[in-house]
Amino acid sequence: MASSCVDFFVILAHHIKISKMTGLAEIIKYIEKTREIGLSDKSIAQELSHVGWPKALVDQAMNQSQNKDFGIQPIISVKNLTKRYGDFIAVDSISFDVYPGEIFGILGPNGAGKTTTMKIMEGIRKPTSGTIILDGKDVLRETDAVKSMIGVQLQASTFFEGLTLCELLDTFASLYDKTVDAMELLREVQLDEKAKSQVKELSGGQKQRFSIAVGLVNNPKVLFLDEPTTGLDPQARRNLWDLATQIRKRGTTIIITTHYMDEAETLCDRIAIMDHAKIVALDTTDKLLDLIEVKEELVLKRATLEDVFLKLTGHQLRD
Amino acid sequence: MKTTLKLTIAMFKIFVRNKQALIFTLVSPLLIMVIFGMIGFDKPQKFSIGIASINPQPQTIQFIEQLKQFPSFEITLGTKDENLAKLKNGDFVAVLDIPSDFFNITDTQSEPKTITVYSNASQAAQAQTVVSVLNQYLSRATMILISAPTLFTLQQESIDSKNLKYIDFLLPGLVAMSVMQMSVFSVAFLFAQYKEKGVLKRLLATPMKAYQFVAANSITRLLVSVIQAFIFIGVGVLMLHVHVEGSMFLVLLCVILGALMFLGLGFTISGIAKTVESVPAIANLTVFPMMFLGGTFFPISSMPDWLQKFAQFLPLTFFSTPLRAIMTESAGFSKIKGDLLGMLIWSAILITLATITFRFQEREG
Repeated sequence: MASSCVDFFVILAHHIKISKMTGLAEIIKYIEKTREIGLSDKSIAQELSHVGWPKALVDQAMNQSQNKDFGIQPIISVKNLTKRYGDFIAVDSISFDVYPGEIFGILGPNGAGKTTTMKIMEGIRKPTSGTIILDGKDVLRETDAVKSMIGVQLQASTFFEGLTLCELLDTFASLYDKTVDAMELLREVQLDEKAKSQVKELSGGQKQRFSIAVGLVNNPKVLFLDEPTTGLDPQARRNLWDLATQIRKRGTTIIITTHYMDEAETLCDRIAIMDHAKIVALDTTDKLLDLIEVKEELVLKRATLEDVFLKLTGHQLRD
Repeated sequence: MKTTLKLTIAMFKIFVRNKQALIFTLVSPLLIMVIFGMIGFDKPQKFSIGIASINPQPQTIQFIEQLKQFPSFEITLGTKDENLAKLKNGDFVAVLDIPSDFFNITDTQSEPKTITVYSNASQAAQAQTVVSVLNQYLSRATMILISAPTLFTLQQESIDSKNLKYIDFLLPGLVAMSVMQMSVFSVAFLFAQYKEKGVLKRLLATPMKAYQFVAANSITRLLVSVIQAFIFIGVGVLMLHVHVEGSMFLVLLCVILGALMFLGLGFTISGIAKTVESVPAIANLTVFPMMFLGGTFFPISSMPDWLQKFAQFLPLTFFSTPLRAIMTESAGFSKIKGDLLGMLIWSAILITLATITFRFQEREG
């Protein structure tokens, strides 16, 4: 009796732990560990679904854990992307893949080419050369089809003055020829109390959350967040991270640019580090952190992403 | 189509909720109209006349009483010196000096009796009017006194039974002017602002087409201009008793064409303007001269010839002229088709300019 009671709590604590995992990378790690103990894939999947992870994500984690080469199809495939403005090279022949369900971070100092890369992927800018395939569609040729299945949050986007949050969401949904439950969407970003307010009445963090809500009106497959936490206070930043994690749980792939190390470290499954228009490193956050070790007080301590960045680029993040 | 409709509804809401735009499109033109209507430029001009007469005879007094009956005369009696002083100050248009024996008429009289009229050179035109009225009056008196039958007479009959007042002239001009201002300013400001603040960029990230957004905004403003025109006409008719005739359908046609033409100008300006701050400068440069030369407040025919040659080709002139013709003379389509053609040509020019200059985002370098 006593032992079963203890078991119950052990299992409960275990369930809480696995429901709190932050992302794909942790789930994959968990699957790999559990598999080593000898549990079957089926029961691991059952357990993960039981605590609330969406099936798509679990399946994907299963897939990726079995196949280290990411055998599944990437949702975005960028090849030799280059963008020049006259003599200035903003993006210099970069290539990378993004897999469905992951939070993919592009980390780099200001002017590294992050935003330009994002804009080209969003179909807003035309590249000088290179190709981008998003969910089987060529971003350059089938731009409208791509636009209708992605959600976008731009660095400095403002909305019409004179409309309430609800009306703005409805209006943006109509641009996709869709209707949306505006209140539900506002609830999701915790702005339901502000439904009748205008954007100008919102705080910085609220504005960014609303901007993300607008990006979700078409229930996108991929959500692009361009420096969503720049200029926010720590509380609002953490709030936004929770929101991003929550959106990923619906199965939406998220691409996020940031120049905050801690943000990339907590949020992203994989990170591309950009500097001077090039990708200088691309791997899972864990692997990047394993790249170097830092000696501190004679105790081996795991490096922070900050250290990795310094080592790779040879300089601090410019601001 | 559905997208454009929903966007139009949203844009209409935005327009109506913008207090500044509402004041600009409705309140200030209405104020101009009411003020100008109340000033009443049509009241007949009063001529102040000073009369000096020493020891007036009964006939003289009667004569003065009769002069006082003239609605346009304002008669003041006084000594000659007093009156002349006032004339110098400009208080009087003319001063009459009636000799005391003026009405001592004898059959043997060979020389006509004389009333001296003093006038101030600075008000020569008014003095001339007074003199001609007096002349007429005196010759009538002569005729009656010598018992000559009246052989000829003038009967004055006004063909224009509508009795047009200035406000009747003003209303169509004001409608045209406010449609112009609304179309140009609301579009030029808003789109320059949308461009600067990144609203247009955000819209480009959706599958929406640029033409859908431009169409939604244009339809909104066409609607506003029609509402605007009919509110002004309504207020004019009900409150200021403006005579409005002619076909309301033709008025509608003119207003829509006019608004279309000036929307083209508005988009062109927002395309040329690099920043929101430069919009009022460019907009005023084009709109302000038209306000005064486009036949809003006074007829183009009152301008010097060289200016008329320029003014008659202004977009606003092609808009205010047919509106006025319809509303004051109930002109039909055939009479205004020249102006309609003018508006069409201007629309084509301005919309072409707009498509060349206006971009949703800056060209990439």
